Parts: sequence; C-alpha cells; structure tokens
Amino acid sequence: MFSEQAAPTAQGLLAPPSAEPPTFPRVPVSGYSDCSQPFQLGERSFSRQYAHIYAVRLTGMRPRLERRARSRWGNDIALRKLSELQAGEKCCVVGTLFKSMQLQPSILQEISEEHNLVPQPPLPKYIQPSDELILEDELQRIKLEGAIDVQRLVTGTILAVYGSEQDDGRFLVEDHCFADLPPPLPWNGPSSDRFVLLASGLGLGSVSGEALLSTQLLVDVVTGQLGAEGEQSCAAHITRVILAGNLLSQNTQSRDTINKAKYLTKKTQAASVEAVKILDEILLQLCTSVPVDVMPGEFDPTNYTLPQQPLHCCMLPLASAYATLRLVTNPYQANLDGVRFLGTSGQNISDIFKYSSMDDYLEILEWTLLAGHISPTAPDTLGCYPFYKSDPFILTECPHVYFCGNAPHFQSKLLQGKEGQRVLLVTVPDFSATQTACLINLRDLTCQPITFSGFGADSED
Amino acid sequence: VTYKWLSFTLGVHVNQAKQMLYDYVERKRKENSGAQLHVTYLVAGNLHQNGHVCHKVAVVREDKLEAMKSKLSTIASVHVYSIQKALLKDSSPLYNTDYDIVKSNLQHCSKFSAIHCAAAVPRTPPDTPRAPAPAQSPQSQRDPDTASVVNGHGPPAARAPPQQHRGIMGMFAAKAASKPQDTPKETKAEAKEAPGVSAASSKPPIKNNIMNNFFGKAAMNKLKANSVPEQPKEEKEVVKPSVSVAEPESSPNAVAEKPGKKTESARIQQKDKKSKTKRADRSDDEEERDPENVKKKRKRIKQLQSDSSDEEDVPLSPTPEEERAPSPPPVPALKTELEPACTEGSAAGRKRKRKRVLKSKMFIDEEEGCMGESG
Repeated sequence: MFSEQAAPTAQGLLAPPSAEPPTFPRVPVSGYSDCSQPFQLGERSFSRQYAHIYAVRLTGMRPRLERRARSRWGNDIALRKLSELQAGEKCCVVGTLFKSMQLQPSILQEISEEHNLVPQPPLPKYIQPSDELILEDELQRIKLEGAIDVQRLVTGTILAVYGSEQDDGRFLVEDHCFADLPPPLPWNGPSSDRFVLLASGLGLGSVSGEALLSTQLLVDVVTGQLGAEGEQSCAAHITRVILAGNLLSQNTQSRDTINKAKYLTKKTQAASVEAVKILDEILLQLCTSVPVDVMPGEFDPTNYTLPQQPLHCCMLPLASAYATLRLVTNPYQANLDGVRFLGTSGQNISDIFKYSSMDDYLEILEWTLLAGHISPTAPDTLGCYPFYKSDPFILTECPHVYFCGNAPHFQSKLLQGKEGQRVLLVTVPDFSATQTACLINLRDLTCQPITFSGFGADSED
Repeated sequence: VTYKWLSFTLGVHVNQAKQMLYDYVERKRKENSGAQLHVTYLVAGNLHQNGHVCHKVAVVREDKLEAMKSKLSTIASVHVYSIQKALLKDSSPLYNTDYDIVKSNLQHCSKFSAIHCAAAVPRTPPDTPRAPAPAQSPQSQRDPDTASVVNGHGPPAARAPPQQHRGIMGMFAAKAASKPQDTPKETKAEAKEAPGVSAASSKPPIKNNIMNNFFGKAAMNKLKANSVPEQPKEEKEVVKPSVSVAEPESSPNAVAEKPGKKTESARIQQKDKKSKTKRADRSDDEEERDPENVKKKRKRIKQLQSDSSDEEDVPLSPTPEEERAPSPPPVPALKTELEPACTEGSAAGRKRKRKRVLKSKMFIDEEEGCMGESG
C-alpha cells in the first residue's frame, strides 16, 4: 500500500537540495476509546479458589452453546446435564473439557519426594497419544470418546457434544460444536486510508544488537524521517502504533540474583533496568510523533498472571510526559476509528500450542475465536487471576481485528462469519527475530508486513 | 555521517539533509578528487516473499543498491542514508551515530521530521521546576565556605561570597578580618572534601596559596559550564593573589593578568595533559548538567551580588562586582584547571566531584556548630 502511492516520487531525494521540503501533518485520531476495562484489575485478592472461574465460564457460555446446538442438530434435541444422562439416549451435553495428559507438568509430581523425580524440563509440546478427554459440568464428569479429536482440543474449552452414554460409563460422541463467532459489531470504519502499525517482540536488552538498527529504522519510518516524500506522506497516515508485548528480551530475565549470594549481586543492576532505559528512549521518539499503545508481554516487568496490568509509568519517565503514550493491559481491546481491535501478547496462543496438536499460530488464533474464548487454558496451564464474578476472556462481541503478538512468522487472514462478521486475524511476528512488523489498513482491513534490514558482515540478500 | 546526524547538526529538515548528502556525493564524484567515498542508500519497496507482498525497508551499500532495486517489484523510495570514508563492514556504526545524536537531542527528536503530530504535546511536569532550585542553594552556600577554606591559613574572609574573583581579593585584602567560626568548619570541610587539596596545600606556601585558590574556585564552581577562553583570565586573577593584595584594588585585574599569564602558562605546561583530559571530562559533566547549571549560574550571580552588598570589610566591592560578571564563566574554567591538580591526588575527577557535592551538602545541612562529615 505504501509502495504504490509512493512510487512516483521515489527518486525525488536523489537531487540537490530543493526548496523547503514539505512537512506532513499526522492524520489525527478521530475516534479512540479504550475498551479494556474488563481486563483492568482493581483490588486483587488471591485467596479464592480457581474453581469459580470455571463455573462462571460455563454459566456464561451455556446459553450461546445451547443456541448453537439447537441450530446445528435440530430444535428438538434433548439438552441434558450429566446427572440426568440415561444410557443409550441421544442427547446433547454442554460442559467444560478437561484433557488429562501424562506429560503435563504437575507441581504435585515435582515436589513428591517418594518418586525422586527431577523436575521435568520444558518441552515444546506436551501431547501424547494416551491423552484423554473428559467432559465436566457443574456436578459430574464423564470420559469422552468417539468422533472428537483428542489431540487438538485443550483444557478449559466450553463445548457441546452430541451423542449417547455407553454402558461402560463413557460418552460416545457423534458430533461436537463450539460457541462459534460471537455476534458482529457494526462497522464504522474510516473511508480513507488509515494505518495502524502492530509490532511485538522488540526484545530490547538482549545481548545481540542486530535488531537495534532495524528498530531504529522502524521508528524512523513511523516518525517520518526515513523514506522519500511519497513514503513519508504515507507514513503520516499511520494513526497508531501498538506494541504487543515482549518489549524486553528474554535475556533480561536473569534469575541469577535468586541463586547467587547477596554480596555478589548487591552492586549489580538487573539487566532489565538498562533495557527499560533504552525502551524509554525509543518510546519517546515514537511518542513525539504518533500515539502509541504499549502492551506488556511475557518478559516485561509486570505481573505474570493474565490479564497483565499495564506497565507502570514511572519506568518510562521521558516518554510518560507525552499524552500520546498509553500503557495498556494484555489482552487489549479498543475502538480505533470505529474498528474494534482485540489482541494479546501471545501467551495464550503459545500455551495452546504447547498442549494441542495445532501447529499454526494463525490456526490456533482462529480456533480461539471460534471457541468463543481468548484463553481457555487459563488457569490450568497459564497463570490467571481467580475471577469469580465473570470471566473477562469470553468473547461477547466479534472484533474487527484480532491479533496475537510474538508469533514465529507473520500470517494474516480475513475471516468471514455466517452472521456477517468480518475479522482480520493477524499473527504479529517477533521483531527481534524477524525484523517484521505489520501495517493494517483500517479502511479495507488488509494487512501488510513491513520488514527492515541493515547490512551485515555477511552480505545476505 | 548519516542523514539524521546531518539534519540535527545543521538544524535542517531531514529531506534536505538527504538531498545535501546526495549533492555532496555527486559533486565530489564529478571533481574526482580521489577521496573515496562510500555511500549507503536506503531502499524501500514491495517485495514478493512467501506468497504475500511485503514492504521492505533496507539500508544497503552502494554496490548492492542495484541488486536490491531489481529485487523489489515496486520501489517506494530511494535516498542517501549516509556517507563515510571507509567501507563499512556492518551497519552498527550507522546505528551508533544515530543513537548518539538522538540521545543528545531527545526532547526535540521530531523537530526535523517530515511528520508533525498535533497531539504529541508533553504534559506539564509539576515538579521539575523545584528540582534545580534546591540544588542551587547548597551550591552557592558552599562557595563562600570553600573560598574561605581556600584561603586556608589566611584570614577567613572567606565569608566573601563565592565569587571567584571577589573571593580571592577578599581573601587577601581582608586578612585582618576574621571569621573564626567559619574557618575551622571550612577547613575541615575543605580538607575532607578534597584530599587532593590537602596534598596540594602541603606544598610551599605561595604555591599553596595559588593551588588553594584554584581549589577554592573549583570547589565553588564545580558544576558550572565551562568557558575555556576565559579560563586564562580567570587563572591569572587567581594566581595572583599575593600580588594583587599589594596592588591597588582598582586595577587588580590588569596587573594580575600579566603575572597571572606567566604563572598560568607555567602551570598549564605542568598539567597540560591532565587538564586536557580533565577538561574534556569536566565538559562532559558540565554538558550533562547544562540546563541545571545555567539556572545555577544565574542564581549564583544573583546571590553573589546580594552577598557582596552585605560584605563591609571588603573594600573591593566595586571592582569585584565588575569582575563578577566575567568571573562566573571563568570560574568554571578555573575549576577545570584545578581539577587536574586535585585529581592528581585522588581518584577520577568524576568520582571526586560526586564526593565533593555530597560533602558540601552535608556541611550545609549541619549549619553552624557542626563539622561537615564525609558524604
């Protein structure tokens, strides 16, 4: 999109100095409203059990699932609870899935001394052929078998299964369905080209500095310093930059201070301090020119449990002075110029990746949308706050742009729903590894990756 | 030289900087002066990759420019990114140049950019104005004390405001004037804060005087911005404490300058190397503290003037006041010269500076009757 508009004046700057060059005003933000209030936690109390969150999730999603079940299998099917099941009767049951996996890291196993087990090293995937699926509702649980893909599903999903109970106490599944896409939101998108830049995984503070030039190039393109006039005028249409997590690299997570003796680590700073300073400078450069939303990620200094709270502004003294900086939660939801954005920094998707046979981040992203829940594996394998009143991760409205950060590659897809939903799914790649960010055009919901590169000692092209 | 560095250094729009670089390259190549210039370009455009069209922005060397241009299906922009004499192995020097220049201009980093955002206005910081103010008062407080200490064994006319010049004149002229209560404290503070000073003061008395004067000035104007040209003048005045005492106050400067020059050149020769490094070091420090210093300097001048009006026993009031104006700038210079001397006997200047500030502050806090303690 940039290129076509910019092409005519591409070579314009290969010329002697001309008259006063033009400055382009940044396209002003017409409509922005932050909708991530459900993800902001006020006072937190961790003294509650996590069972409440499952109960709330089930009650929250049950009506939708029952509607879907009726529309799929007929209006007259029997909807039963597990306690009302009769052997041999074809009925539909709505419940929470639980996948019992042998390889799943369990804290009880680790601390059990009789077994003398070494703590299990983290594996890329924990699935095994011997995993089993169990359906639970408010009171009972039952093993599932049949036409259901055990490997693909993960714990915590709410689904409806259609089948009958066998004599041996298992439920034979003939068909199952999820909540499907939530009801669509009205479209109020802009009529002219407006872009939003999505980037994640800046990875500052890492030992290697190759990505630093690319990060600087990214900042330069967005702030309009790089490129010929055509490109600069296109860059002026970038209305927002969203940094989706992992602003600091994994290297800053040095846990040495816990293991080393205090007298050795007294004078050393945590690696993240230096990294946050660099981040502050980069954000300052961006904030002087474009509104920025900063989401925390897995390696950022904020709480570990989902929903992650915004980074504290005292860490970014230089950039916080600007009103264009917004520190937001992970997951993040907002209305930008009439387009609803919803996204996470990728922890939910990568967690599902570990416990499911699905390999493609885009596929997993689509699946969470169809399942109606942002992160079903929380709180089982992903840290989560013990909600008890309502589960904020249930998707109640269909966003227009649904993204996840820190994916291995860039992928995007426009999903069309039955009720007229149009969702752009974007997996934002890790910038420190791929030097790629995403440009989303709000007018027609298209997405283009933008790659930066310098030249290294080895001239690869 | 990258386009961004040029833009900030010359204060021009980034596009103009790019054009300037291009122009320079063209002209140099036409002249064929023989100096080999290596140019890097920025190329941006569409690239077909992995089945989708990706917008690529790349910094490439001149020899790879055509190759990159041919790879892109549509070219969005091409311009000169940087020029250098030597062939770059990788792009880290480019990044470093840009990083440094942006770091030194952080508050205005979008001033020369092509895009201006109306929404990006800094929020008014409520407590920044307060910070420099308290810093100034301890500083100006320190100066009188150190001045008197500098006088060392001399009478503590050190009460004389921290004006470099004034202090010196006051020190020597008002030998009779005694402010005993100040001397012990100041001596101790001075001694504590500058171990090097004591080392210097152990030298022969005359030199001691001179050195001490220098130290006093340095101590007084630790954080002042440096103005090197006025440095010699300052030093001369300081160097000539003994001489100026005898001379009529009306023209202490003029006389002081000549002998001062000689002394100064001598001393400069002595500590040339060190002063240079220290000056550099000092200027670095002073640059950092520049915004604060400007304010401090102003405040100090004001305070100096108010102090001078208080002083009665210093008959030099008219002259010192004139000199006060040029003295603040020279004082830092003087201080810089002193620094090398000080640092001879102690650790790095920076460290000493820090120590000094701490100590002086402690001294101020404890007011009369207490000895300053090491910070």
